[in-house]
Amino acid sequence: MNNTILSITIALIFGIGTFLILRRDIIKVIIGLSLISHAVNMLIVSTGLFDGEKAPIITNGHHDSGSGIIFTDKLPDGMLAPIVPSGMETQFVDPLVQALVLTAIVISLAITAFILILAYRIHEEYGTTDIRELRRLRG
Amino acid sequence: MNYLDHLPILVVAIPILMSALMIMLRSRPTFQKILNIIVSASILLMSIILLLQVWNSGIQVYEVGEWGKYGIVLVADLLGSGMVVLSCGISLLALIYSLDYIEDKSLNTTYFSLFNLLMAGLNGTFLTGDIFNMFVFFEVLLLSSCGLVVASEYGGVTKVSDKMEATFKYLMLNIISSMVMLIAIACLYATVGTLNMADMSVKIAAMSDAGTLPWHIYFIALLFIIVFGNKAAIFPLHYWLPDVHPTAPSPISAMLSGVMIKVGAYGILRVYFLVFKDALFLLQPIIILLALITIAIGAIAAVGQKDVKRLLAYSSVSQIGYVFLGIGMGTAYALAASLVYLVNHAIAKSMLFLTSGGIIHHAGTRDMDKMGGMVKSAPLMSSMFLIGAMSIAGLPPLGGFIAKFVLFDAAILGEYYLPVLIGFAFAVFTIFYMFRAWLLMFWGEARDVEKYGPYSSHGLSPMITVPIVVLAVAVLTLGVYSEPLIALSSEIANQLLDPQPYINAVLGGEVR
Repeated sequence: MNNTILSITIALIFGIGTFLILRRDIIKVIIGLSLISHAVNMLIVSTGLFDGEKAPIITNGHHDSGSGIIFTDKLPDGMLAPIVPSGMETQFVDPLVQALVLTAIVISLAITAFILILAYRIHEEYGTTDIRELRRLRG
Repeated sequence: MNYLDHLPILVVAIPILMSALMIMLRSRPTFQKILNIIVSASILLMSIILLLQVWNSGIQVYEVGEWGKYGIVLVADLLGSGMVVLSCGISLLALIYSLDYIEDKSLNTTYFSLFNLLMAGLNGTFLTGDIFNMFVFFEVLLLSSCGLVVASEYGGVTKVSDKMEATFKYLMLNIISSMVMLIAIACLYATVGTLNMADMSVKIAAMSDAGTLPWHIYFIALLFIIVFGNKAAIFPLHYWLPDVHPTAPSPISAMLSGVMIKVGAYGILRVYFLVFKDALFLLQPIIILLALITIAIGAIAAVGQKDVKRLLAYSSVSQIGYVFLGIGMGTAYALAASLVYLVNHAIAKSMLFLTSGGIIHHAGTRDMDKMGGMVKSAPLMSSMFLIGAMSIAGLPPLGGFIAKFVLFDAAILGEYYLPVLIGFAFAVFTIFYMFRAWLLMFWGEARDVEKYGPYSSHGLSPMITVPIVVLAVAVLTLGVYSEPLIALSSEIANQLLDPQPYINAVLGGEVR
């Protein structure tokens, strides 16, 4: 249920971002861009959610073979190591995706800063923020 | 651990360190220049040692942080280290060239640190074995190249507003393609649970054997065509290139056209032949089709250009199509041919862009109609442009001929008759537009070409001519003595088609 709502949210944000990117105003385009990047970040986080039983994390006792944690992949069954068997309680989600999202957020921060300065300079050079005026190169 | 084992991380880390150092050394321009040249030369040396090491003793894996396959690994195989040598060589020459070409104000503040970041991004992309890390290096590449495109050169031939507009277009399209790449990576991670490309390859192969390969893996593979196609500027995504490459200062155009668009071809080779081997049958017809349209569009558009750098940019679009044609055919010989083509185009096109910078310095304009009869006043530039034009057009004593010859040979052996026909027809176009440009600029009536005027002290100094001559010698050498490159390319192609040694090298190390 939660996953469905999350998916719909991601899709909506993505759609709004795409709509804004197609506008004429440069500032709206930039806002659309950051909305899309947020949607993508949420998509990445959502790949780290598992429905209860399988959580891909190595706990402290991962050298202990008696814990029942599977460390070899069983791909025909769609199981990816390391897997905590059902019955064991785990309170974790995949930590790797959160590291990925942090990296992606930092990158999108840098890009947004750069593109805002670029938009400011374009406003200085062209005297407008209308994207249709940017057609001197005819590329 | 032998200190030579650290080479893969050094060629990435030293440029990053240098970029921080260069910001601090802003007040000492001479020291900054000398230090940068020395460090770039030593990185080139390191990359050559790395290539020799990989050639002699097999694939090298460097585990950053020693986390094994769960962390980031740098993998130096022949393809990666060969591309690193190419990019380091061209960047050294472009750096020497830009000492006298870029305006002091820009050169002394941010130019060097951005250039070093560009090098770090290129080397990192070529060496990384982790797909998310590849995305990070793509972003490093993208932002640093945007900063370099707006750097201003002497003479003010390109208007600042043009630079802004081109950069905005470039940045927007590339961010969107980066987002697509991130989506593809997230889907891939959700499917196979790893980011290491060798590990992914093993898992996808195992799923495919067990018949549990989910269908959406093909869609993920198609998404990567958008990502790498946008980097390499193949057909539906090519239209940013003819704006960005001409407006950038000439050494940066040489870097963008020589190395940056090859990143797309490298990405296709690495990701498809390693991870999506099962989807290749689906992708190869698409790549061939797009490559043929790219060849046609680039060549046709180049014929009518008045601006010399814009002509070269459209020619790059056309030539990258040939590289993708070889990749699309996918046999060992065709892959080797496309790698030979890639190297030859990288060297010849970066040389042509550097030469066009010299021509623009001489004529004070980019418009070929306003030039003419420059063969007497600029003999060196005219002969160098002729060598580059002949290589791109594929005339015999030069590297471009060998490249086109092996590519068409591979295509005929692979019985791709229609693509060969189309490729050959547009190779004739290439000869036409290259020589049209040369004739317009250097023959005919001498028009009143303005001397460089107030910037005459920045005319053709040795800083500008030496890199061009070095590249011209390289083009000539690749033409008359091409066996080593062809042998290296065939070896790389064999490694690409059989990635088992790569996988063993990456996954062989035990997890600590």
